[in-house]
Amino acid sequence: MSTRLIEVILRLAPRRFRERYAAELLSVYVERTGRGRRNGRWWFDLKEVLGVLRLVTKLHLDRGPGAEGTTKRGGGLMVDLILHDLRFAVRTLRRNPGFTLTAVSVLALGIGANTAIFSAANAFLFRPLPFADEDRLAFVYETNPEFGWTDETAAPANALDWREQVAAFEDLALYSEWVTRVTHVADGEPELLGLNNVTGNFFDVLGARAELGRTFRWEETWDGDDDVVVLSHATWVSRFGADPEVVGRTIDIGGTTVEVVGVMPEGFVFPNDRVDLWSPFGWPTENRQAVWFRRAHWLRPVVRLAPGASLAEADAQLQVVVSRLSEEYPETNRVMGAGLAPMRDFMIRDVRTPLLILVGAVALLLVLACTNVANLMLVRGAERSREVGLRTALGAGRARVMALLLAESAVLSTLGGAAGLGLGWLGVRAMQGMTRLGIQGATGVALDHRVVLFVLAAAVASGTLFGLGPALRTSGAGPADALKEGGRSGSPGAHRLRLVNTLVVAEVGLALMLVIGAGLMVRSFLKLRAVDPGFATQGTIAVQFNVPGRYQNRDEVLDFERRFAELLEGRPGIERVGRIGLLPLAGTSWSSQFQAEGWPPERIGFEILHRRADAGYFDALDIPLVRGRMFGPEDEPDGPLVVLVNETFVREHFPGEDPIGQKIAYDRAAAANPQDSYWYEIVGIVGDQHQVSPGEPARAEVFENADQDWGRDPWFVMKTSVDPLSVVPAVRSALAEVDPLVPLAEIRRLREVWQGSMARQQFILTLLTVFGAVALALAAVGVYGVTAQAARARTQEIGIRMALGARGSKVVAMMLRQGLILVGVGLMLGLVASLLTTRALTTLLFSVHPADPATIVAVMLLLGGVASLACYLPARRATRVDPVASLRAE
Amino acid sequence: MPDMTPLTFRILLALADANRHGYGIIKEIEQRDGPEAAPSTGAMYLALQRMEADGLIEEAPSPSTADDARRRYYALTPAGRSEAEAESARLAALVAVARAKKLLVARKA
Repeated sequence: MSTRLIEVILRLAPRRFRERYAAELLSVYVERTGRGRRNGRWWFDLKEVLGVLRLVTKLHLDRGPGAEGTTKRGGGLMVDLILHDLRFAVRTLRRNPGFTLTAVSVLALGIGANTAIFSAANAFLFRPLPFADEDRLAFVYETNPEFGWTDETAAPANALDWREQVAAFEDLALYSEWVTRVTHVADGEPELLGLNNVTGNFFDVLGARAELGRTFRWEETWDGDDDVVVLSHATWVSRFGADPEVVGRTIDIGGTTVEVVGVMPEGFVFPNDRVDLWSPFGWPTENRQAVWFRRAHWLRPVVRLAPGASLAEADAQLQVVVSRLSEEYPETNRVMGAGLAPMRDFMIRDVRTPLLILVGAVALLLVLACTNVANLMLVRGAERSREVGLRTALGAGRARVMALLLAESAVLSTLGGAAGLGLGWLGVRAMQGMTRLGIQGATGVALDHRVVLFVLAAAVASGTLFGLGPALRTSGAGPADALKEGGRSGSPGAHRLRLVNTLVVAEVGLALMLVIGAGLMVRSFLKLRAVDPGFATQGTIAVQFNVPGRYQNRDEVLDFERRFAELLEGRPGIERVGRIGLLPLAGTSWSSQFQAEGWPPERIGFEILHRRADAGYFDALDIPLVRGRMFGPEDEPDGPLVVLVNETFVREHFPGEDPIGQKIAYDRAAAANPQDSYWYEIVGIVGDQHQVSPGEPARAEVFENADQDWGRDPWFVMKTSVDPLSVVPAVRSALAEVDPLVPLAEIRRLREVWQGSMARQQFILTLLTVFGAVALALAAVGVYGVTAQAARARTQEIGIRMALGARGSKVVAMMLRQGLILVGVGLMLGLVASLLTTRALTTLLFSVHPADPATIVAVMLLLGGVASLACYLPARRATRVDPVASLRAE
Repeated sequence: MPDMTPLTFRILLALADANRHGYGIIKEIEQRDGPEAAPSTGAMYLALQRMEADGLIEEAPSPSTADDARRRYYALTPAGRSEAEAESARLAALVAVARAKKLLVARKA
């Protein structure tokens, strides 16, 4: 990470240096770190990074006009002047360590937060994708208003027709969004690999070439030519020892022998990093004519536009084909639509809103930090008005004085920027740690030269922002000011006070916006957590594996599963065991339409979800049987097909009817020709389980009997009487007893599954809470500072009042009132701004209105309370002053 | 020529008896003066760049025994050697003063 950081910083060095020394410097750094420097590695890296930063800065400073290559450095009056100002600024700041430290920390917080969030935004919004001519790539999706589909995967027959009939598509490829797990046995050791099925032109469409060997050919999409695979770079290195002879070798995956024909280059990671190898579909040619090939939607089409073709043209042509298809195939395509989206837009469609919200929040935070520093500088400017007055009296022009003051802001913002870069680096690492929570794509979050440039821009912008106002104010002090207003105590003049007050109002308002945002997320998250997901999240665990193709038919697979379940039940700590095709809250797999026996042909039930389960699943996860009966031994594999349905299914599709005993078929033409369909009898109703997230209502769902509809990737769920993770060794040994060559693919506690389904909300919540807390602290510091300043300026006045017998409490009240008026105005303005902006959070909030009164009131009380305390403390201190001493001060 | 920085002098010293590459200079400084004296890589390259621009050091051909042909070796130029000698003399004179004023007590072996 730090090597990368140094590399990035070096890119900012003058070209002359870069060409001659950069590579060498980097290799020396790498050599130095390579020497088992375990302890103090962190400290060493920090010193190295700072050293390189200093190097780059110095090199640029050295490059004054005419300075290159000569021994004389800095030449030119302007450069001399700037260097002088900077040196003076550094000296001044060094003499005021308290002020400098505060200002730099505040800036570092603001810039650091921006660095971290910008790194994330950069990864999604700006970093180039690893494909040639990215802007000619687009995704096609299918839509269906009846099913509520807005960006669905496509049916292959439809996509293949688009490929042939849309002239603006140079080519179209399909890939499966599912990554299949296959068992690869090497030297007697089984391991699982992620396999992605693609059409033969997949790599060509993406413009990706193999690093070794070749990619696929279009013909390999069809007819059994699918016994070839291409390896990902990572898999080639980790599983095949980066063997250059791997091309041409045959390997065994899941009981079939395939030939490795190519290896992809590093950096080609698509559709995701779980893919270890790609394989062509190898469909039988007759699929093209099959109805299911046009009905089942599970593939993602990606297109490369013809050179010169625009997205709009392509979309117009696509719509023509789509409407032709809907006439030609009314059975499957009556209401099926399609759309086209640029590749990147489509890939980031889910993260765009949260990212923009976070970007907005950190931008606010940076403005708040700058306001704070501006305030500090103004207060200090007040103390320096005598110095400034003196300089003016001695003939310094206003521009010179301003340059001096701005040099200070420049030094502060540079220091703040450097520290902020460090903080941001830590923030990026923290965010990378959150990938385990399931933020997809967050692995790409990293510092690169764009981020460093952004930090530089942020530092310069904030330096100007907080420096200019105070510099204008302070430099305006004439010679008279030095003697007039200032006096010994250097109290602020009225005009300066007005600016200070404005800044405090702004601080409170900005902080209110951020804390309300955080408060809304907290409240929403608490509500989300309170939703009953419909199954037991405590004391439960699930494991998954893949039953390899060696077990050739249903009976062999079922026998495998039965033996494993029996072994599990005998292990201590495991109380109940069940099977399920897909865990709840883990998303959805396939959905379909159905008809019930006796329904008129036009009545169709849309979009029901399916899972395979056995009775043990409901038992192990405490899912209630609401009515009817469970699957039982009487439901034999070859007997009449039976299903369970959830409560939502009953409510949506059999309102006011008794579904038990009804027979359904997943076929919208079932009523017309019942003899052609498989009929399932509904034998019972079970409780709803949320399928996608606790925030999304449960959807209508049918559970097939796992003994009748079998699969090769079952999840086994267990209720344990001990810590769920402690049974894992027993589970492993049970599986090994059934077949030592079948490894466990997944181990997940149901609690993790539940938390994972809320990971995105939690991620945003965590960040917004951190920003809110920082904002609150900054506002408190701002209010404290201004009250303390006012108190100091009025020391004499307070002394006189106290000497004349005013009670301390009265004086405190007077001071408090002034502070609280500012806080109140800030709160009101912040409230208005919040009401205008929190609407952006709507899509992220669960059952909380963006203008939720309870949250707003609570946050205003909190902020008001903190601000009052920040007013009270300095006011209180002012009254503690001995009246005599305060008078003597003059 | 302004006063020589300690780092510049250390690099001149490191190159006085042999041509070295960047990492070699750091190792030499670390071995002689302890790890605390070693500059950050950035600081050293800032110095190397300036010294090369000032004509104190120059690139030397890699020795045939070099473990990595891509490494660049540095050597003292005649000017660099005379600067190092002058600085040594200056320091020696200072040390002599220090000794005369009893700031430097000879260690008993």
